[in-house]
Amino acid sequence: MSGSDVILDVRGVSKSFGGLKAVQDFSLSLSQGGLKGLIGPNGAGKTTVFNLLTGVYRPDAGTVRLGGANLVGLRPCAIAEAGMARTFQNIRLFGQLSVLDNVRLACHLRSSGTMTGAVLGSVFARGQERAMTERARELLRLFDLADREDEEARNLPYGDQRRLEIARALATGPAVLLLDEPAAGMNPQEKVELRQLIRRVRQEFKVTILLIEHDMGLVMDVCERIAVLDYGQVIAEGTPAEVQSNPRVVEAYLGEAPAEAGHA
Amino acid sequence: MDQLLQTLKDGIAIGSLYALIALGYTMVYGILKFINFAHSDVVVLGAWLSLLFARKLEAVTGWGAPPWWAGALVLILAMAACALAGFCIERLAYKPIRGAPRLNVLITAIGVSLFLQNMGQQEWMFGTRPANIPALVNDATLFTVGRVNFTLLDAAGVGTALALMVGLEWLVFHTKIGRGMRAVSHSTATASLMGVPVNRVISTTFVIGSALAAAGGFLWALKYSQIKQTADTSWTLLGLKAFVAAVVGGIGNVRGAMLGGLAIGMLEMFGAAYLWSSMTDVYVFGLLIAVLLLRPGGILGKAVVEKV
Ligand SMILES: Nc1ncnc2c1ncn2[C@@H]1O[C@H](COP(=O)(O)OP(=O)(O)OP(=O)(O)O)[C@@H](O)[C@H]1O
Ligand SMILES: [Mg+2]
Repeated sequence: MSGSDVILDVRGVSKSFGGLKAVQDFSLSLSQGGLKGLIGPNGAGKTTVFNLLTGVYRPDAGTVRLGGANLVGLRPCAIAEAGMARTFQNIRLFGQLSVLDNVRLACHLRSSGTMTGAVLGSVFARGQERAMTERARELLRLFDLADREDEEARNLPYGDQRRLEIARALATGPAVLLLDEPAAGMNPQEKVELRQLIRRVRQEFKVTILLIEHDMGLVMDVCERIAVLDYGQVIAEGTPAEVQSNPRVVEAYLGEAPAEAGHA
Repeated sequence: MDQLLQTLKDGIAIGSLYALIALGYTMVYGILKFINFAHSDVVVLGAWLSLLFARKLEAVTGWGAPPWWAGALVLILAMAACALAGFCIERLAYKPIRGAPRLNVLITAIGVSLFLQNMGQQEWMFGTRPANIPALVNDATLFTVGRVNFTLLDAAGVGTALALMVGLEWLVFHTKIGRGMRAVSHSTATASLMGVPVNRVISTTFVIGSALAAAGGFLWALKYSQIKQTADTSWTLLGLKAFVAAVVGGIGNVRGAMLGGLAIGMLEMFGAAYLWSSMTDVYVFGLLIAVLLLRPGGILGKAVVEKV
């Protein structure tokens, strides 16, 4: 991985909750267009890493650089604007908003009209609206949700909600996409489709992806590189094959559910 | 028949006024989950500023009969001034304590309310004596049904309120800022992560709510022409009723506030016309109790199921 094409560079990030060191001296770099997995047993600190990267929590120490700019201390909306988008382990759609509005809302970020412009109701703002609606519909088509655009998001089946979250994140026009357990709660068929979807998204949107996932089959299949987190620390980093044969990783997963430990 | 028509007319007139004010309560609650007790004082500010602007305009133009645009100009000025006041209140009083426990915010709101009331009583502001607003509409009877007159003033009042509500409805459901408001209302944290500038959305909410409050104050002044001092209890009652309207409709719900306002206005007028006219407040607060008992989320509100 050469230094020049590194898009996300995280160095020495730590976060404690009271006495609990949820993340310790976490470092990670993502190369432009790469797809990296972030795995680890339950409670290892994976979601906390996402929260630190997106500004939900402020790191106690360390730097997060996206395309060279340090993001530490910025508000979440500024970090989103800088090009970081995410989905949530516990789905966090705007349940009462329509499917279309969930995506359109995220399109705001990359549309040039100001919010206050809409108050004045200018013709310009109306053109903006049309452009955003168009973009949102395109995304929904790609995610196979086009025919449900008027439904309230909370009424969608679980798998659809997960895909809608990805569509919404992409609508913010990110450089880096953080997916937090996108396959959780999906049936096997949906999981197969998700693999294809992730690959497609990566190609069509030219985004760099960091993927948290417990489904080892999926992780080993789609990720080029994998970082393993245990007790808030990175204990291994490498290709799927390297990680699987790493004794520390096997040890970390001992005592985990057999299905997961078996893959790792 | 005449009485029915007259009562309907009065109900719509006062109901649309309540609705305008209720919108401010409901929008702020929807986004910040607190009751802005200073909202009714912005209504009062709107009424008094309308009076001041109207007097200035009268002095400058020296009109015998007010020109047709006088009302519109005063309304716009009052709305703009109150919008600015709302912006400042949010910035100076509420923003610094965002995230503080709810009780702190509530006490701050009461503080802002007292501040505005006492400021208004100062001689260099509005003083403590009631004042009369100059006529802003060259009133005339438009048409008569039975023995019920429909005047230009009636039409202007209801028309203004309706136009503002239609405008707000469009804003909330068909524009970027409205979508931002609905998202922030659902979850501030998630909205921020999706790039919504939360602070700007909150500011805009206060600006819009306060502008609508000013319109409410303006219409009140137009309707009753005499304006009481800023700490008068009649203002508190007006604010309370508008708040009840917001709760009855379903607090946090924009359409609910409009519906609740009309419901309260109708209830008052029908109760006064057909039952006892001295008990209008009892009907209003009786309805509040009934709604809270039977449908605590309000007419359009959804039952909130506590997540465990
Ligand atoms: N806001 C918080 N306050 C206190 N402790 C927290 C907070 N957020 C996370 N933790 C703790 O930090 C540790 C790491 O949690 P985190 O959610 O990051 O784990 P995870 O790797 O995502 O686990 P899972 O695979 O179960 O999703 C856990 O022990 C968790 O209880
Ligand atoms: Mg997690």
